[in-house]
Amino acid sequence: MTATDRSRNRALVDFVVLPMFFLTVALLGGLRVGAENRAFIFVAPPLVTLLLAVLLVLLLVRGRLIRFHQWVGTELPPLTNVAHIWMLLTLFFASAQAFNSVLPEGGLLHWLFSFFFLWTLWNNQFSSFDPRRLLRSLAILFGTAFVLKHMLLASLYSTEGGWLRRVAGTLLQGVSLGTLDAPTFAPATGYISFFTLTLYVAGLILLAFAGKDETDSVVHQVVEEYRQLPASDRLAVRDAILDDQPAPKIEVKNDPRIPTK
Amino acid sequence: MKSKIIQVAGLALTIAYAALIVWIYAVEPRTFKEVATSAELAAGTYQVNQEKFNSALDLFRREQFRAARDEWQRADPARGDARTQFYIAYSFYREGWGRVYYDQQLLKQGLEAVNQAIALASASPLTVDDPNLRMHTAAELKAELEQGTERSWSDVNPLKVLRTRK
Repeated sequence: MTATDRSRNRALVDFVVLPMFFLTVALLGGLRVGAENRAFIFVAPPLVTLLLAVLLVLLLVRGRLIRFHQWVGTELPPLTNVAHIWMLLTLFFASAQAFNSVLPEGGLLHWLFSFFFLWTLWNNQFSSFDPRRLLRSLAILFGTAFVLKHMLLASLYSTEGGWLRRVAGTLLQGVSLGTLDAPTFAPATGYISFFTLTLYVAGLILLAFAGKDETDSVVHQVVEEYRQLPASDRLAVRDAILDDQPAPKIEVKNDPRIPTK
Repeated sequence: MKSKIIQVAGLALTIAYAALIVWIYAVEPRTFKEVATSAELAAGTYQVNQEKFNSALDLFRREQFRAARDEWQRADPARGDARTQFYIAYSFYREGWGRVYYDQQLLKQGLEAVNQAIALASASPLTVDDPNLRMHTAAELKAELEQGTERSWSDVNPLKVLRTRK
């Protein structure tokens, strides 16, 4: 593959594929299918999902999944800056809609889920992350929320199913005095949400590779490995680097035996 | 150079896609069919189903107002045709009209439909040239419906029974 092909493919991913992925997540994240009439229901992102998206984008910057210095800067052409800012905007709305997809629509559960998301994202702001670990952590976060909302809760509130399930659902609603009530949706909603989250995580994986030079990846790998070392080993590495200074130049004094030009 | 073309094309394509998403969330279509109808409405190519419209008109003339309304609603599912909405409002008026008593619920629904018709024909006053109707403009129909929903001392006037349905 030539350098031109590589540059074209990168442009295609950065400016077409990634925004399309994220916009599709923004479209499907708020889509539900009604249980009774199988009609589409579009749920606009609640305010809390915007807050969660801000925290998530900050985390992506801290985890070096978003590289501002590479994407937006005075040394880049204006069109490239605009295209990158647009891509980041689509990422922001996709993040808000990804949360919207796994948050219960109302009641106490909505606030419980929101609180746990906020707590996790806030804590993660103070942890050290590399892109790979951050991706893994986000995939698990969204995966867990998906299982809880679309499998566990959906099964409890389902009008279909066995008597045991219905008794458990009724008990849960009774004990919580109706505060855990949640609207029921058709099973298609779960499939849509699964596809949405998969697309979102796939977009983040692509993002991790977007605009990443080979030399850059090697350097970051070394830096990451260095950061994971204990303090004593780090000191040894630093000493080794300092020892690896270029040898001092030897001054050759004029020797009368060597003829000068 | 090729990379610049990709940037421009990508921006144009994704901005159009984003606009489509915003439009979908604003319109909130309930089915794929509604998506298509709303798109036709936005593009200005929307047309009512003429066959269903005529069949509804036939029912309306035979004073089968509910059936007529059902048929008109099927002919204009997006509620985007001013003339159809006018007829729907008219059917509410005729069904709700009584010599001694007006059905408030039906007149209110009629008012809603006539307001929709006026909103759709905002460029010019809506006029329907139908010799079987006694009111030909949306403004007349609206005034009649509003009068029907208002309560006044004239409601107890015994001469009210002499009024005729329009």
